[in-house]
Amino acid sequence: MSADNHTHHIATAKQLWTVGIALVILTLLTVVVSNLPIPSPLDIIVALSIALVKAFLVAAFFMGLYWDVKFNSMLLIGAVVFFILMVSVTLLDTLYRDDVVPSF
Amino acid sequence: MANHSATHPAHVQHHFVDSDQQFESAKMGMWVFLVNEILFFGGLFTAYIVFRAWYPDLFTQAAQELNKLWGGVNTIVLIGSSLTVAMAIRSAQKNQKRGLELNLLFTIILACVFLVIKYFEYEHKLHLGIAPGSFWNPTPEILAELSHPKANIFFSIYYVMTGIHGLHVLVGIGLMIWLYIRARKGHFSSEYYTPVEITGLYWHLVDLIWIFLFPLLYLIE
Repeated sequence: MSADNHTHHIATAKQLWTVGIALVILTLLTVVVSNLPIPSPLDIIVALSIALVKAFLVAAFFMGLYWDVKFNSMLLIGAVVFFILMVSVTLLDTLYRDDVVPSF
Repeated sequence: MANHSATHPAHVQHHFVDSDQQFESAKMGMWVFLVNEILFFGGLFTAYIVFRAWYPDLFTQAAQELNKLWGGVNTIVLIGSSLTVAMAIRSAQKNQKRGLELNLLFTIILACVFLVIKYFEYEHKLHLGIAPGSFWNPTPEILAELSHPKANIFFSIYYVMTGIHGLHVLVGIGLMIWLYIRARKGHFSSEYYTPVEITGLYWHLVDLIWIFLFPLLYLIE
């Protein structure tokens, strides 16, 4: 499996600090953007897009998926796909009710 | 653990071919656990999405009671702790014992800062009667700002999601202390640092969850 992979990838300190600083900048950006008068649902889309970019940076570089075997990335993507499935099937019910749960 | 063969390093268990296979197996096992964690939190995010779709006004009103500044500070604290964990793994890979110990120590301190800030946030809210579910008992001032009849539902979701996340931070602190003690005893080297690597994966996932919780709970207007 890893016969040709005897040495583990070592990220440089510069790479890790760059990712860390990018994450802080994106955090400040998402706070600034949340104060702008962006109409719904565009504001949710913008906030989630920034969060997804941050999540990608953490998964790819801090968690090392960028340098790792593809199988581990597949596990993460699989989890996200099944999460989307869970939300979709649930919303097929809850979005189309005449009455939300009675007395709730 | 007894050494079964002269070619095997002491840390390799007998059912693995070599150190690399053991490392890759442990890491994959951790990823499978993280899949489980994502779907566990996924259930909570599903509840969030369902209730936000039902009561959009509730979420925008109730989120005003959360403090953007402290939520933001905590986000940066957690990002900092993810960076120190990544640096701890790098130190282990480069056989830098002192660097490993220091980075683990920084991580523990940042995780504690996160929980202290969270404690003050909870304390402030509970003082104002902003409590989940049937414990909802707000002061008249809060009630004047937040008259939505389902306000308690937002805070049920808020307390459960941030509470379980906080529990993960607490577990993470315990794991980091365990790693620190083992690092002090010289258990880790560039040849064997599997526990540092997979605890790091866990810690980054805790950071990932917060990356989504912060905008979804604190930043909605």
